[in-house]
Amino acid sequence: MNQEPTHSHQQTEANTGQPAVPMWLIGLMMVLLLLGAIYFDNNGGWFDSNVYAPYHNSAELDRYQLPSLGNEQVVLGKRLFEANCALCHNTDGTGKTGQAPPLAGSEWVNAQGSYRIIHIPQFGLTGPIDVKGQTYVIGAGMAPMGAQYTPDELAAVLTYVRQAWGNKAPAVTPEQVSKVRSELSSHPQQYTVDELKKLPEQAP
Amino acid sequence: MFMSAAVWLLVSSLFGLIASIKFHSPAFLADCSWMTYGRVHPAATNALLYGFAVQSGLAVLLWVFARQGGTPLIHPVLIGGAAKLWNLGVFLGIAGIIRGSGSGFENLEMPRYAVCILFASYLLIALAATITLHHRKERELQPSQWFLFAALLWFPWIYSTANLLLLKFQVRGVTQAIIAWWFSANLITVWLALVAIATVFYLVPKLVNRPLYSSHYALFAFWTLLLFGTSTGVPFGAPTPAWMPALSAVATVMLIIPTIAVLKNVCGSIHGDCAPLKSNPAGAFIKFAMPAFLLATLMKCAASLPHLNAITNMTWFTVAQSHLQVYGFYAMTIFAAFYYLAPRVAGFDCTRFAKLHFYLMALGVTVLVIPLAIAGIKQGLMLNDPSTPAVDIAKATIPFLRAATTGELLIALSNLVFFINIASMAAAFAKKQYALLCSGDSCETNLAEVKA
Amino acid sequence: MKHGPLVFLAAFFVLSTSWFGFVLKPQADLGNAVQETNVVSTALYPQPRPGQAHQGAEVYRANGCFYCHSQQVGQTGVTCDVVLTAPGTNLTAAAEAIAKANPALATANLTELMKKLPANILTNVDRSTADNAMKLLKAPDMKAEVHIVPIGPDIARGWGRRHNVAEDYVYDWPVMLGSQRVGPDLANIGARKPDANWQLTHLYSPQGLVKGSTMPSYRFLFETRKIGRVPSPYALQLTGDLAPAAGYEIVPKPEARELVAYLLSLNSDAPLYEAPFTTPAPAPAQTNSIAAK
Repeated sequence: MNQEPTHSHQQTEANTGQPAVPMWLIGLMMVLLLLGAIYFDNNGGWFDSNVYAPYHNSAELDRYQLPSLGNEQVVLGKRLFEANCALCHNTDGTGKTGQAPPLAGSEWVNAQGSYRIIHIPQFGLTGPIDVKGQTYVIGAGMAPMGAQYTPDELAAVLTYVRQAWGNKAPAVTPEQVSKVRSELSSHPQQYTVDELKKLPEQAP
Repeated sequence: MFMSAAVWLLVSSLFGLIASIKFHSPAFLADCSWMTYGRVHPAATNALLYGFAVQSGLAVLLWVFARQGGTPLIHPVLIGGAAKLWNLGVFLGIAGIIRGSGSGFENLEMPRYAVCILFASYLLIALAATITLHHRKERELQPSQWFLFAALLWFPWIYSTANLLLLKFQVRGVTQAIIAWWFSANLITVWLALVAIATVFYLVPKLVNRPLYSSHYALFAFWTLLLFGTSTGVPFGAPTPAWMPALSAVATVMLIIPTIAVLKNVCGSIHGDCAPLKSNPAGAFIKFAMPAFLLATLMKCAASLPHLNAITNMTWFTVAQSHLQVYGFYAMTIFAAFYYLAPRVAGFDCTRFAKLHFYLMALGVTVLVIPLAIAGIKQGLMLNDPSTPAVDIAKATIPFLRAATTGELLIALSNLVFFINIASMAAAFAKKQYALLCSGDSCETNLAEVKA
Repeated sequence: MKHGPLVFLAAFFVLSTSWFGFVLKPQADLGNAVQETNVVSTALYPQPRPGQAHQGAEVYRANGCFYCHSQQVGQTGVTCDVVLTAPGTNLTAAAEAIAKANPALATANLTELMKKLPANILTNVDRSTADNAMKLLKAPDMKAEVHIVPIGPDIARGWGRRHNVAEDYVYDWPVMLGSQRVGPDLANIGARKPDANWQLTHLYSPQGLVKGSTMPSYRFLFETRKIGRVPSPYALQLTGDLAPAAGYEIVPKPEARELVAYLLSLNSDAPLYEAPFTTPAPAPAQTNSIAAK
């Protein structure tokens, strides 16, 4: 049984034919590759991982971005506030009795000059504080929650606080925050309310 | 291995039949959680792909390596054991899917335990095959052997990558889908095609008693199939960066090139002399498989062209195309291989029902694919029309799905005939062996290929 | 080719090109995606699914829902609308500006238009046309906006507001995008059909709610049991043919409730850098001035 196929195997396969691949097939392949390359150029976004169909390239994607609403700082500030501050001060700024004073309508927040208010998140606060006629005392005081932020971020949070929930106070700039931050070496610990009251309203 | 492949083919077609019926009679077996469509369908495809396609492909691979190399198979016992292990893996995998442990990735639904078993079994078979190749007496590699050797490497790489990155070290987000698509494309478009083309390049010269038309064509087809086929996975409209579907679309259209090369090679070998093909049952299957290959490739290319892809995307058309590729091209080629080599292994003619098998299968594939393709186009056009409610789209495709179910029924019947053919052959072979043993003669044959 | 190793190397090389392209590069680009900021609100997107919804994803996977339902909304283009939000203090100047921006409106009743705000000045134009129009809409205190509007058949059907991108699937495993649309796309079903009772009844009997539906019923996710001392609060309210026998109630099993929780969590409506669109204006909030914008 093994002999017969082997014989024909040698006969039929010893010399497979040698005609070369015809030019028309190679030509067709080249043409298709060219068309494919043109298609890819138009629709492929050139390997940019942000470009999804139907956008053709990243320039087009940029053109169709949403118009800026001009409030990026407040949007960032809101997110950071809700991540870190809302735990004690509540997302609507009403504060928690016994824990944190309200920020909505607070005279400290609404002061024209931002110099004093920057100190609170930057350095922290210890001792009792009067807000809207009520006294708030927290055991360990407020930790310097804003010290972890960059000046841009802390300015964003304070701007948000000063413009949300009916507050109407001017925005805070990163430069103002940096100025306050530079005082860290001379007064590293938490501020007390008396020390705060001694500070001028506007930055010197 | 062919025997168990046949069993799985039957199982898969039964599942496929059930799944197909559910489309126009949703209440059919709906109350049993084991038989819900979402479990029956993957069971069917996995049984088809892993139980039948890969296993029979490996069987053909071993045969070709042994014959063209001029050596008997090395370690037949190892291969036999590995084949049994493979069957165990497929069984556990299907059971897992029916139970609800399907992985959620198309064509990769088998749970982890089944995957490990399948992979181990594959490695054993690949080892035996490579050693057989290494020991070949004819040092020059024939085209079929290139295709099969590449296939031997291809499967473990894509299977292990896909399963590791999807099941074990789970990648994040849509990357999972990309890898799953990459795997599917490489399995169906590349691996199955590699094995089927190798089989055709082996069988046609044998049948017409003429050498293969051109080894240059074969080399060209080999390279272009590998190069283009491997990048065809990502479908149009996928939620991935735009370069991926674009690249896949280009690669898919390029697939026409290896198809033309293969067809020219086959036609050139036949050289107008179709008579030998008519007399041998294997020839009939190949005569169906080659046009099916061309049509399947054309369908795939058409479905990737810029305006057509918006219509065929996510419709029955893609299902029709993959059915044509697997059933019409690959399965037919494997059946051809079986009807060619089975008599040579068993030593007697066992192709009694081959004609019936062929007609049932050919008719079944036609009745399955054409209605599904039409349904897909209709569905796509309706999907692109926002005023058509979704339920109307489903209703519009029902008549075509009924026709497709008839096709599935015919295919199931043809698989039954195939199974009967193999079973009767195996039984007769075993009887003959027993008789020989009893009469004191020994007979050297490749046992592994038949009894596994 | 004589040599086995040559074939091996050829195959290796070619497969490695696609491996680099479709496995390595996507993983490098997208594999470490984390939550992004939704470009207009302050929420991080996407949010990980809460407990029941997370388990529901497993039920979705086990029952193979993705074989008929896709979870990817497509988009074929993007256009702009120019919308007037405030005509300003000088209505004549405003009317002139509008007529300049859109000559087609020159003959329309602009005073009526300016009363019903927001009003579309231009619809379905490209970005440069919209920007040019914005430059012309300059009257005292006049406010107008450019809205980015994705278009496509999926979006027109209400299946989503924008196409899905990689970021939408960051927290999903497995990502079940689906490859067939026998049934509607489910990427935003949580926004489209937020009613849990509807979803449960639909799973119990799709044909009861959607006439002619080919979706199989998933009654094995429900239990028919005798009503105890009081009816279960989870029991389905069914009428007509679907209602159970007297004295019995149909109660969803935990899998059904998890699956519905998952379906209700499917919502990918956030605008992102790679998928911008103008969200419809939310209802004005009480406490926060930002949301009122």
